[in-house]
Amino acid sequence: MSQQIPQSIEAIFENNKKWVSTKKVEDPAFFEKLAAGQTPDYLYIGCSDSRVPANEIMGLEAGEVFVHRNIANLVPNIDLNVMSVVNYAVRHLNVKHIIVCGHYNCGGVKAALTPTDLGLLNPWLRNIRDVYRLHEKELDKIEDEAKRYNRLVELNVIESCRNVIKTAAVQQSYRDNKYPIVHGWVFDLRDGLLRDLHIDFENMLEDVMKIYHLSPGSGHSETSGGA
Amino acid sequence: MSAAGLAMRSRFLARASEAAGQIAGRQPLTLSSSPLITAMPRVSPFSTSAPSYCANHKPSAPTTQTNSTDSDSTDKYAAGLRKNKDWAAQTAREHPDLFPTLANGQQPQILWLGCSDSRCAETSMLGLLPGDVFVHRNIANILHPGDLSSGAVIEYAVKHLRVKHVVVCGHTSCGGVAAAMGSKQLGILDPWLLPLRQVRERNLATLQKLSPDKAAEKLVELNVRESLNVVTQKSVVLEAIQERGLEVHGLIYDVGSGVLRELDTSDSDEAIKARLVAFKTEA
Repeated sequence: MSQQIPQSIEAIFENNKKWVSTKKVEDPAFFEKLAAGQTPDYLYIGCSDSRVPANEIMGLEAGEVFVHRNIANLVPNIDLNVMSVVNYAVRHLNVKHIIVCGHYNCGGVKAALTPTDLGLLNPWLRNIRDVYRLHEKELDKIEDEAKRYNRLVELNVIESCRNVIKTAAVQQSYRDNKYPIVHGWVFDLRDGLLRDLHIDFENMLEDVMKIYHLSPGSGHSETSGGA
Repeated sequence: MSAAGLAMRSRFLARASEAAGQIAGRQPLTLSSSPLITAMPRVSPFSTSAPSYCANHKPSAPTTQTNSTDSDSTDKYAAGLRKNKDWAAQTAREHPDLFPTLANGQQPQILWLGCSDSRCAETSMLGLLPGDVFVHRNIANILHPGDLSSGAVIEYAVKHLRVKHVVVCGHTSCGGVAAAMGSKQLGILDPWLLPLRQVRERNLATLQKLSPDKAAEKLVELNVRESLNVVTQKSVVLEAIQERGLEVHGLIYDVGSGVLRELDTSDSDEAIKARLVAFKTEA
């Protein structure tokens, strides 16, 4: 695979030094600027899969994208981990875009289509089975297994986007600032290209707010630190 | 926790309850309003009137800026997708076999547990390629023992992908650490940052002796050690260490220089033995 696979942890430090020198040649003040703080425009929520590194696939430098990665880019409603990330990125970093990025050939999505007991992973992956159940009719109509699997990857991204939009942080920030905008992408490992699923953010937000409305005026008290 | 840690903790609790006793009769007080805590220096390197942990906190953009910000960011978004095309083409040129191989599966050697901070781009700073590093990044590289998200990542990476290295990487100027050194209420972030405050509590005496900058730096290191602690409480990790020599590392990334530093995280034989007895489970 990679010709630079480290044989030991020492090799990593050599690689790190090389990267630092390269960055300094490109921009001598690169690290000084980063030391002053971060002002990323993007929050990226993606899969832990090693083949989908956030900065590389987006062609972005260190400092440009705030990153959360978990198994199968899920945004479960009660996961404190991802909710803290969304809260921090929206309320404190004021990111302009939130990207949920899935990828074809996702092991997590595949596992969720397989009748296997994976122990500790079961409850996490069950979220993907829920996505299947929500879109059962559409998915069952797809006869080709590979195509059905790819479509589930896409629908899983769309449902994660929806869960991001359910948060008070996103609803309130969008009402006040007209950002962040939420996007759904899928990365294709075969050619390295990103595909925008073009989710209709405005419509999805409106749809979500029928039930999940968390801005003031809805009859509920606002929780300023809520996610 | 070590015996010394336990002793320190019970001493602290005794003092805390003493303090609470002196003010008995008033409204029940939380620990944070006890005299012990308020004596702690409250200035953090990131403290502003805004959330104290956000080094460059920007106040809510005035509405007049909304339009320009919006159009700028739309451009940036399009730029991101454009840059992906350039990257895919360049990577395919430099490593013609990479994408066809990646489509067949992943065999990463490294599991990276790091911070979401935009400055800590793991694959870039390691000089590695897609396929090399399995990644979980969250606020302040905190590992809650019962967190299913990081738990699933560690289980999958160690048991199914059989990575050779597990890395916990903290970094200087960490916003989460600065927040835990302060006392501002932060909503949902508070329960997330709780383990950091627990580490702070256990090391309060040490931290209080340091300048705010040094104390934050120290807490970054202690936090990495604590997360490593949680990693090596997982039976799946202990089993991989014993059976196939899985290595566990603690790193600190200096955002001001880009350089990684490895912490000495070696344990005594006695500690390792105790760990195995307490945490190793079998099918």
